Amino acid sequence: MPSQPPLPPLLTPYLSDLPESSLTVISSVLGATSNWLVLRYLHASLSNTANSNTSPENNGSIGRTSRKVVLVSFMRSWDFWKTEAKRLGLDLARLRDKRQFVFVDGLSELFTPSASAFSTVPVGSANHATLPLRNRPTPVPGRGPPAAGSLDRSAQDRRVQGDASNSVRLHFRGRGTAALDAIEKDIISELHRQRASSDENEELLLIIDQLDLLLAATGPGLGIGATEMADWVMGLQQHAHATVLTIAADSPLIHNAATNVHGDCTPIETEHAALALGLAHRARTVMQLRMLETGAARDVSGVLRISRGGGWNAEAKHSLDEKELLYYIQRDGGLRVFGRGES
Amino acid sequence: MAPSNLSHRRTHNLLLISKLLSLRDTASPFTLLQDSLEQPAAPLVKEYIRRAKLSKVHVTFISYETLKRPDGVDAFISTRRKTPTEIIREASSAYHQGTGTEPVRRRLIIIDSINPLLNSKTLDPGFHLPSFLGSFIAPSASSNGRAEASLVVTYHQDIPSQSQRDHYSPPPLSMLTYLATSIITLHSFSHILARKAARDRSFVPPVFGLEEVQDGVLLSRLDKLAGTGTAEGVVLELEHRRKSGRGVLEWYLLPPASRYSPHHVKEVVTLLDDNVLYNPPKEAETSGGNDEPQSTFELGLTDRQRRDREGVVLPYFDAQQGDGPGEGGRILYDMGEEDDFDEEEDEI
Repeated sequence: MPSQPPLPPLLTPYLSDLPESSLTVISSVLGATSNWLVLRYLHASLSNTANSNTSPENNGSIGRTSRKVVLVSFMRSWDFWKTEAKRLGLDLARLRDKRQFVFVDGLSELFTPSASAFSTVPVGSANHATLPLRNRPTPVPGRGPPAAGSLDRSAQDRRVQGDASNSVRLHFRGRGTAALDAIEKDIISELHRQRASSDENEELLLIIDQLDLLLAATGPGLGIGATEMADWVMGLQQHAHATVLTIAADSPLIHNAATNVHGDCTPIETEHAALALGLAHRARTVMQLRMLETGAARDVSGVLRISRGGGWNAEAKHSLDEKELLYYIQRDGGLRVFGRGES
Repeated sequence: MAPSNLSHRRTHNLLLISKLLSLRDTASPFTLLQDSLEQPAAPLVKEYIRRAKLSKVHVTFISYETLKRPDGVDAFISTRRKTPTEIIREASSAYHQGTGTEPVRRRLIIIDSINPLLNSKTLDPGFHLPSFLGSFIAPSASSNGRAEASLVVTYHQDIPSQSQRDHYSPPPLSMLTYLATSIITLHSFSHILARKAARDRSFVPPVFGLEEVQDGVLLSRLDKLAGTGTAEGVVLELEHRRKSGRGVLEWYLLPPASRYSPHHVKEVVTLLDDNVLYNPPKEAETSGGNDEPQSTFELGLTDRQRRDREGVVLPYFDAQQGDGPGEGGRILYDMGEEDDFDEEEDEI
């Protein structure tokens, strides 16, 4: 079993101390994905109430601020997050029932034609859930076969109108800002419901995973560009205490548009770069994940660079040290974070 | 660089930047701030607001990317889902001039980032950037005696601009730099120092952040030097176009806000060339004065030794007296008390 605590002490201050209306941008590349970091954010926010196998030293360092979390995921399914969180000792399904955590599914039915989404009867929904219909190729979610039983249950629960305890599925209809507004409304209603059920001192954390998928799948052809996406994020930010979002920062997506001054790069390159950099300009913290420049290593998975973004406020009482750390994800999901030259 | 030149720049250009940042005499109606992720414009914008507060200027903040209203702002206008026309209307209604008794307040209008507007997909194709910006500075003539306004617009240089919709009009950045009366480009002081250090050794200057073109790197580490507290600050590269048409180029250093109190009235900005780190004072070579080689041996002379040495009459002086051949040039030696008399040596 992992001798490592679920939250490495070096990372804890960054994960748990999120000032009000702050934006944290996690940038990832193909070889260094951000899922583990998102899971650590979930853990830092939710683990106090989950009486899981957190070691006492952790509880002390995190502090007792309990948070509610809304996770909007565009790239990964509920099963993926549930399984991965379980490895950290976090029972998302139970937390969801306790209204501590809400999962907003932006993957399964984002582009499913509208008519089928609500008219399917519970009998057909199991079928529907195991074979998600997509009219656009999306990356394969999760690992392993989905647990049919749990999905079946969630799919059935979803049909029950008024019972809000289950994952909401987003649907993209129409084009342009109107379509984004509809999605925004769905998420905001979840945020409001979470807020209504929480105490005064509970902070509401919004995590948006890989929102660049939405941009990549729609794009300027549908009247959605970086500005519209950034506006959309700002609309959501207004309803949450703090926002964490992940975005891809692979070289072609960022640098092609910047180096190509003559404008012969594709719309997705331009829009993605504009979105990612624009968000970094807004963010308080930018966490950049990348691979080792010197090549693959057996005991290092990647590099995490924590920088202040353009929205960092020098006078705020929350200080922020910039750091560059190495991390290693063990086979059992355990995480080690250390500085260069240390082990 | 001649020192007279530097002192001239010190007086004139410091006065200029002070005038620009404090918005005196509307020296620059439209200032363009070009920033990047490596050095965001936030500290400079904050400095603008601070000075505006000191001189009781009405501040309107038009937000394209700021969620929370910054401190010291009189009117905060969110632009979410608004057309440019609505923004203009809201900005002009944000400041109501009081009745005659109240003195006319100057206005500062800040746009925190112009990029979202330029890249917007929902923008009306008839949108005209110069008239949009111009309408803030010179609002409609309906109300006479209007407060004079200064516009400060931030442009993020690293955000790529959209491919041109209309190939017959110039790209937005060219338009902005053409319209601006002052352009301030922001640099991180530590990066400027690193580049200068490399240049002084004829190395290739280092690049930072996005320019590294490294997979997954958006920002370079900013505070490598922050711990020492020495290289903090923002370098401002100012290009100011005077009304006469003459341009002024100057580099300044804005110290971090923690170095002075918010009510500090005196000028805090200095010339970059006056900075000790950027332009270290010349090694004081002439001050020491001893140009003798250093050694473990004592190579100097004491006063007595020097006097004795001067007293020695060298043989050629004796030879010049012309006592005849063979007579001059003898070595005349007076025995000192410490000398041994050596009989065998004395064969002259």
